[in-house]
Amino acid sequence: MILAVLFANSEGNILVERKGWVMSLGLPVMGHPVFVDKREQRFNGVPAEERLHWRSFLVKLGADNLKGVKNEELLVASHKSVYIVYTVLGDVSIFVVGKDEYDELALAEVIFAVTSAVKDACGKIPTERLFLDKYGKICLCLDEIVWKGLLENTEKDRIRRLVRLKPPTEF
Amino acid sequence: MAQPLVKKDDDRDDEAEYSPFLGIEKGAVLQEARVFNDPQLDPRRCSQVITKLLYLLNQGETFTKIEATEVFFAVTKLFQSRDIGLRRMVYLMIKELSPSADEVIIVTSSLMKDMNSKTDMYRANAIRVLCRITDGTLLTQIERYLKQAIVDKNPVVASAALVSGIHLLQTNPEIVKRWSNEVQEAVQSRAALVQFHALALLHQIRQNDRLAVSKLVTSLTRGTVRSPLAQCLLIRYTTQVIRESANNTQTGDRPFYDFLESCLRHKAEMVIFEAARAITELNGVTSRELTPAITVLQLFLSSSKPVLRFAAVRTLNKVAMTHPMAVTNCNIDMESLISDQNRSIATLAITTLLKTGNESSVDRLMKQITNFMSDIADEFKIVVVEAIRSLCLKFPLKYRSLMNFLSNILREEGGFEYKKAIVDSIVILIRDIPEAKESGLLHLCEFIEDCEFTYLSTQILHFLGIEGPKTSDPSKYIRYIYNRVHLENATVRAAAVSTLAKFGAVVDSLKPRIFVLLRRCLYDSDDEVRDRATLYLNTLGGDGTAVETDKDVKDFLFGALDIPLANLETSLKNYTPSEEPFDINSVPKEVKSQPLTEKKAPGKKPAGLGTPPSGPPSTEDAYEKLLSSIPEFSDFGKLFKSSAPVELTEAETEYAVNVVKHIFDSYVVFQYNCTNTIPEQLLENVVVIVDASDPEEFAEVASKPLRSLPYDSPGQTFVAFEKPEGVPAVGKFSNMLKFIVKEVDPSTGEAEEDGVEDEYQLEDLEVVAADYMMKVGVSNFRNAWESMGPDCERVDEYGLGPRESLAEAVSAVISLLGMQPCEGTEVVPNNSRSHTCLLSGVFIGNVKVLVRLQFGIDGPKEVAMKLAVRSEDENVSDMIHEIVASG
Repeated sequence: MILAVLFANSEGNILVERKGWVMSLGLPVMGHPVFVDKREQRFNGVPAEERLHWRSFLVKLGADNLKGVKNEELLVASHKSVYIVYTVLGDVSIFVVGKDEYDELALAEVIFAVTSAVKDACGKIPTERLFLDKYGKICLCLDEIVWKGLLENTEKDRIRRLVRLKPPTEF
Repeated sequence: MAQPLVKKDDDRDDEAEYSPFLGIEKGAVLQEARVFNDPQLDPRRCSQVITKLLYLLNQGETFTKIEATEVFFAVTKLFQSRDIGLRRMVYLMIKELSPSADEVIIVTSSLMKDMNSKTDMYRANAIRVLCRITDGTLLTQIERYLKQAIVDKNPVVASAALVSGIHLLQTNPEIVKRWSNEVQEAVQSRAALVQFHALALLHQIRQNDRLAVSKLVTSLTRGTVRSPLAQCLLIRYTTQVIRESANNTQTGDRPFYDFLESCLRHKAEMVIFEAARAITELNGVTSRELTPAITVLQLFLSSSKPVLRFAAVRTLNKVAMTHPMAVTNCNIDMESLISDQNRSIATLAITTLLKTGNESSVDRLMKQITNFMSDIADEFKIVVVEAIRSLCLKFPLKYRSLMNFLSNILREEGGFEYKKAIVDSIVILIRDIPEAKESGLLHLCEFIEDCEFTYLSTQILHFLGIEGPKTSDPSKYIRYIYNRVHLENATVRAAAVSTLAKFGAVVDSLKPRIFVLLRRCLYDSDDEVRDRATLYLNTLGGDGTAVETDKDVKDFLFGALDIPLANLETSLKNYTPSEEPFDINSVPKEVKSQPLTEKKAPGKKPAGLGTPPSGPPSTEDAYEKLLSSIPEFSDFGKLFKSSAPVELTEAETEYAVNVVKHIFDSYVVFQYNCTNTIPEQLLENVVVIVDASDPEEFAEVASKPLRSLPYDSPGQTFVAFEKPEGVPAVGKFSNMLKFIVKEVDPSTGEAEEDGVEDEYQLEDLEVVAADYMMKVGVSNFRNAWESMGPDCERVDEYGLGPRESLAEAVSAVISLLGMQPCEGTEVVPNNSRSHTCLLSGVFIGNVKVLVRLQFGIDGPKEVAMKLAVRSEDENVSDMIHEIVASG
């Protein structure tokens, strides 16, 4: 199960979150200096103390390790039985969290699909502004890549066609 | 409706600070959503509004029920537009809104239409949306289309249907299982992703059918699998088949090993890694099988991709636990990973090296770790500390450098869990390596001088009190301890007073000086501290009164409580102040369940300072109260033990009966808990007729019938037997439930006057040896074992015959004896060939028993066991052997 795909800006504020439906992870919400309670309901079935634990773990992970990392250089961690693969793309940090069959290697595949789709949608390495400009398209790409915790599509050309409702070329 | 659109192109990049969603507000966006209702739809504008709605949802904004319904209805209008981009957004929006069942009907027809559309992409998306929002009834309607879609020639449509199937299997398994023919066909698809999704679904459909999974694996390992993802799945399923068939093969060859080995040469790294990991996790893997897997993992260690390095070192770390020798070849590669940018990789490398390193490399390794410790998080540090602890136990000669390392990191900054891990490690090293004791105690003393955690300070003081007096120069610890009395909070001060008293009790030369210190504590501001000082002065004779005997004092100061604290707590809560003082002997000693020990990881040492395992409040006192309230049983004496309820009927029968066995010194009482599950019946004069003709040592002395047993309100009937005192008599009892049944009018609930006598056969009940053994844990088995002494020790060896696994043999012996496993030794690490299990308990007659079981397993799964028993009574030691010999 892919538990979550998260986009955050350099301050750790969330830009997009693709829920994993078993649980999803929250970071501070953009524009709000503190955690907002409204997010809480998105942690489906995760006990409150776990949520805080996960939240602080990811926040710290990003803050500790993402400085000075090159674009698309993958970082990896495991915590409890969950794997996290994360990276930086321009102004945006991307976290992919999974467990069981989605181990670090499968997640690397997922994050590769995500970064290439984002680059494709934005036309280049995104600034935060550019990323937000292409927000709708990026949501559609994510919808093609991860569906309810399962990996569906991986190839950027195919994804680009699918979000325009065009059949894939190899077909 | 020409709307001047804000053009969002690259020339505004310099205004990166400005977010297109700045100042976005839910109310305004909902207002804007009214454009969905326009007769002339502007697709571009509508898409923008949907984007804003998505943004709001992603930020954790919620819509009220009314708002959500309104938006949902408005969005459904957008199906009228033929704009493709907009349609794609609509699909996403509906999924995000996840409408309620009564709203779904509105879009069903539109989606059904799209599902049969000529445009493939409409079909794929409509399937995904429908499956997301559908329920069981709708699913039967669209099932036909879904089955078609699975074998659709467009891979996107097929994948959409297959992934939907995986999700729907959770909610509607019986429907999805009907698709297996189509899914089977899709597994043969030429499209890589379709094959991947189909394989996942097919396996899920058949996962409970071993034969089918085995067939699937056999056919696919011979055929071609197109995507690396699907190949990884196949490897996982293959290992599952290997695991399940492992018991049936007599020859040395492992089925499918060649397949796994060939995957090590696959072109995708993902597949290579998966195969390597699968091989390392095989049950009882041989070093010949392991070698090729380790070789590829070693290559990954120097990969430029962090994910591969991480995956490789993580797997090697696991292998090192069971086959440390196999991993030593990779040591050089792993040492270079200690400086890896990625701290997770570095931590794993270090802990692996600590497991595989040899004695000569310890010092070099410690030097490297010292530099590394300062820049990792506490969670990682704890892992390292635990690894160092086991290393030290492995190479006791190296204790000096390892102990120094621990004391150094103890002085540095760190949270409670981290500090506790270090302290626990030092304590365990002190216990297990006698040479390390003095230096370890001094390190701990220095630590409490500046310790911010009350819990750790008190635990260390307690430990000092036990170990300190036995050292060559106990006086040097006094200063550290007495300092606590001056500088700490009341809890720590009280602990320090107790520790001082222990020194006074053991070291006669220190006694007068200890009295001086204790007397000073009589003026402490806290009453607990004062009370303790007074108590100890009195016990040790420091206040001039008559002194208790030396042994009594030591028993009082050092003796374990012998009672689970939770039980004591419940008994104290139940105690009502009266003339009769609270009697500590009335507290039950049985440990009910031991979630603490069960949770422990295999092979993990118990925390050094942990309290003895304590269970939740027991039902024992409830039983005791119940039994003592029945006059027939009131002179039976003290209840020794009550068993867990044993079911005597199948589930869902007319009458449900289970039995609890209560053991007294000379009596056994069966408590039958009966439930009548028929509303139309009332049972009266319910008794259980027990046939005890077979077990000769039991004689029935009393039976207490249950007067009335109405529908669904449980009641009890009892039968009591006398047996020779203190003898663990065993035997089998057959049971017959006998009663008078009366018809009940369901409308009025009144029973008829006359009843009919009837009988109901129950299952047999056995009293076994384990019923006479109480599970009572000890906090430190080694100490307990040594203090018990070899006087009543009995040792013998047994062959247990062929067993499924070592773990199975261990748990069989534990349940045969009914004793409490200590220090987590009931867990057998995977693949181990030998195991030692420690048990403790109290046998009837209140005789303490300790058991040390050593197991070994050889090739054809023959298990041999060496059983060493120590107890306070040699007859009991013999009895334990008899139990095992006859079990």
